[in-house]
This record gives sequence, C-alpha cells and structure tokens, in this order.
Amino acid sequence: MTRAEFMARLRRGLSALSTNTQTEITADYEAHFSDAAAAGRSEEEAAAALGDPDRLARELRAEYGLKAWEDKKSPRNATGAILALLGLGAIDILFLAPILFSVISVFFSIAMVVVMAFVMGGVVMIGGPIVGYDGGAGIAILAGLGLVGAATCVGALTIMAGVGLVNFLVWYARLHFRLLKPAIDQA
Amino acid sequence: MPDIIEPQLKKGVLALCVLALLSRADGYAYDIASRLASAIDMGEGTIYPLMRRLQGDGLVETYLVESPAGPPRKYYRLTEAGRASFIQQKTDWTAFSSAVNSIILGEGQ
Repeated sequence: MTRAEFMARLRRGLSALSTNTQTEITADYEAHFSDAAAAGRSEEEAAAALGDPDRLARELRAEYGLKAWEDKKSPRNATGAILALLGLGAIDILFLAPILFSVISVFFSIAMVVVMAFVMGGVVMIGGPIVGYDGGAGIAILAGLGLVGAATCVGALTIMAGVGLVNFLVWYARLHFRLLKPAIDQA
Repeated sequence: MPDIIEPQLKKGVLALCVLALLSRADGYAYDIASRLASAIDMGEGTIYPLMRRLQGDGLVETYLVESPAGPPRKYYRLTEAGRASFIQQKTDWTAFSSAVNSIILGEGQ
C-alpha cells in the first residue's frame, strides 16, 4: 500500500470525527511517513508496519466516542459510544438490535409514564382544591405532591439505569477489544 | 482467556514502555514507535492514539523542534505527573513480574 492509499483510507474512516481531530490525527501519520522515508524505509514498508488503516480508524473513532461519553454523560454521547462500539464489531448488530430496541421501548414507556404522572400530580395539586376534592384541599395537595415526587424519583432511577447500562457496554468493550485504554487502568 | 489477557497486558505494558523511553530522553513518535514495534509485537500505528491519551491524561507534553528537512518535529517529554506515574508503574510491574516468574519458572520452592 502506498502512502496516499493509506492516508485516503484513514481519512475515509475518520470522516465522522470533527475536522480538528481529523487534522491532528492525519498530521501525525503524515509525519510518520516522512520520518520513515528519511530513515530509508519505503512507503510500502512504513504502511505495513503501521497496520490496517481501516481498523486503526475504527479504533480511533471508538476511542473518541467512548472518551466523549466518559467525559460527559449525555444521550447524544451515549448514542455516539454505542455507534462506535457497533463500528468496532464489539457488539453484534443482529444480536444487539432486538435487545436494544426493547430496552429503548421500555425506557421510552417509563419516560412517558413519568411525564404523565408528573403532569397529573400537578393537576391534582392545583386543580384539586379548586374543584372541591372530596377529601378536602389538604389531601388533594398532598396527593398531587406525592405523585410529582414519585414521578421525579422514578425518572431519576431510569436515567441512572440508562447511564449504568452504557457504562457497562463501554467497560465490556475495553475489556475485550483492542482499545487503547485498558479496562483495568493501572495509571 | 488469552484473547482477554493478551491485549490487556500489551496495552498496559505499552504505556509503561513509552514512559520508560521518555524517562531516559525526550523523543518523537516515529522514533518511539519504531523502537517499540520491534520489541513488542504491536502495529506502529497504535503509538499515536496512545501518545494522545498520555497527553490527555497529563503524563506527557509536546514541544516543537525545527527540523533540518521538512516541517518542525513534535517531541514528547514526561511531565512531573508522568515521571511519578512511571516510578509507580515500574515498582508495580517489577513486583508483579518477579512474583509471576517465580511461580511459572518454579523458583524458590
């Protein structure tokens, strides 16, 4: 493989990353080829020693995806991390898709219930006293407050469970695949 | 099991080797890569993401040196934290590897 071919395949593999990151990464590999040439190695030799550019790109992408998730736990970064792991072949899409689909449905249903309970709690709390609830205004306010509290609590637990699930996938990938940061970090 | 242990071992050891080389003298990535690739069976390409991670973790820092031919070259050196981490990891590694050696080689029994 020539230098141009290697760089083209690497660039294609990295196209999902930010332009800045891409420039930084490709500059390193360009410099490597120049240094190799200065040391008297052919482009083919240098490319072979670097390894497969497609796999390198997949690993780099996964590394950045996982790092973004570890730095900031947002739904967007969770999606990015899962996509990166899929790209790595860390999780089999055929195996994962049905599971992921049901998990997402469950999460979505819980989220719907939580939002509805929250709104209903608010309605009971404010509306109860006005329409003259049987048990009296105090009971209505307390019932509404309880509902809102329970909804918030279940919502928080669901988010924690979601974060835990993605963390587990990331940990699993680090343990089993050639990612740069080991699961057992000795640093 | 080898599938799990081997990459983990190599990854951990690779970072330690890079820190060891840099503890003796500052270096640039190509030099580090070509010295390590022949010693440990790992693609030279792996060095660059590793350097980036070590830099992100604050263990190494970079500076540019004018090169007689071509663009300025990026050199790496250990930070204080990198030096401390190297000493700690070296101690851990020495203790661990001598314990493992004494078991697998059947010494001291």
